[in-house]
Amino acid sequence: MLAFILPSSFSLKGKGAVRGVLAPAERGTSGLAQRLNEAAAAIRGIGGMVEKNRELAHELVRIQTELNTLRDAEAENVRLRRAFKFYRQRPETLIPCDVISRNISGWWNTVRVGKGSAAGIKTSHAVISPDGLVGKTVEVSKNTAEVLLVSDPAFRVSAKVDRVHTFGLVRGAGADLKGQPVARMDFINKDAKIKVGDEVVTSGLSGQSGAFPKGVHIGYIVNVHQDGSGLYQYAELAPSATVGLLDYVFAVSGQAAEGAP
Amino acid sequence: MMRYVIMLAGIAIGALVQLFLPAWPFFGGIKPPVLAALVLYYSLNRAPRDMWLAVFWAAVLHDGLDLGAFGPALLAFPVIGFLAHRIRFEIFVDGVVTQFIVGALGAVLAMLVMVLVYAITGQRPFHFGYTMLRLIGSGLLGMVTLPLVSFGVNKFEAALPKRRRCGWQ
Repeated sequence: MLAFILPSSFSLKGKGAVRGVLAPAERGTSGLAQRLNEAAAAIRGIGGMVEKNRELAHELVRIQTELNTLRDAEAENVRLRRAFKFYRQRPETLIPCDVISRNISGWWNTVRVGKGSAAGIKTSHAVISPDGLVGKTVEVSKNTAEVLLVSDPAFRVSAKVDRVHTFGLVRGAGADLKGQPVARMDFINKDAKIKVGDEVVTSGLSGQSGAFPKGVHIGYIVNVHQDGSGLYQYAELAPSATVGLLDYVFAVSGQAAEGAP
Repeated sequence: MMRYVIMLAGIAIGALVQLFLPAWPFFGGIKPPVLAALVLYYSLNRAPRDMWLAVFWAAVLHDGLDLGAFGPALLAFPVIGFLAHRIRFEIFVDGVVTQFIVGALGAVLAMLVMVLVYAITGQRPFHFGYTMLRLIGSGLLGMVTLPLVSFGVNKFEAALPKRRRCGWQ
């Protein structure tokens, strides 16, 4: 009865006081309820979420596979474009080959290419790639050819340091502990001013009937040493053309005509 | 007849596996000796005729796919095959420890024969340190490869239909 007869201003003040006291508790309770509601919703939705998650995971795998396939195709496209451009630019007659396997024992640094005498490949022909000299053919069957890589100790090729036009003999030196191929250039004139980073190219003096073209990049000098006899100096090389199983290489089957670019 | 075909096909698959495995620079640039392990497996588990067939086929594949003349594997594989076959009743051929030891010894022996062949014929340069690295590397790789190959062949044979002249059961 008293409450009804109080002025409205008092009534509002009282309500405000009560509400002000209870507001924090209300806010807390509301937050708790909201969290409980969310938790309940989450528990109710677990089955659906798992299903959704599985679908998304499958979708992700599918898209990832597609992406990998596209990346592979793109990388192969780039390799093939590069190889094709190289093929068109070289003046020699080149036979494109794909690498089909490596050496079985690890005793030799070789790869096998998928073309042989039927395609016109013969023994001791140079094998090159857009990166430079890969090696030479050593055992040729009708449909395959074994390529002795630049890094094999049995490999020899006449070469020159391009900057100073000094000749020498490049031979393979195996691989280092990281598996990177290593080569060595021997019999370099002791007075030649060669230095680390110089480019080494083929001299064109090796091979039967000019099967090793002139000016093919072999690698770069990474170290220079004086020969024990004091008559020559020798250099360690990092060959540029490393060959993987998916690479394309070219066997040189004929020399460029005189005056060709 | 069928079991011979399966055995020869298995060895051919082993050769392909060895071809595509990478060489290990830390082990002297050699590859896991899958073919040598197959030779050891068949020498330890089969009759002499099967053993010699496996030895000959594995050696032909190895030397045929490798550069240089036929010879290193044709000499090395019969040696390890013969020795393993001689001791097969005196050891636990299915024991993992036995396979570790036999695999390591077989691979080292095969590598030693190959080193001698290559050194004598002058096909490969001989460096003492590098040769030691290869021998140790082949031992370690052989130790790992033989148990894996044995496991693989056992599983493969267990999966074959149990018919006469097809499975070994």
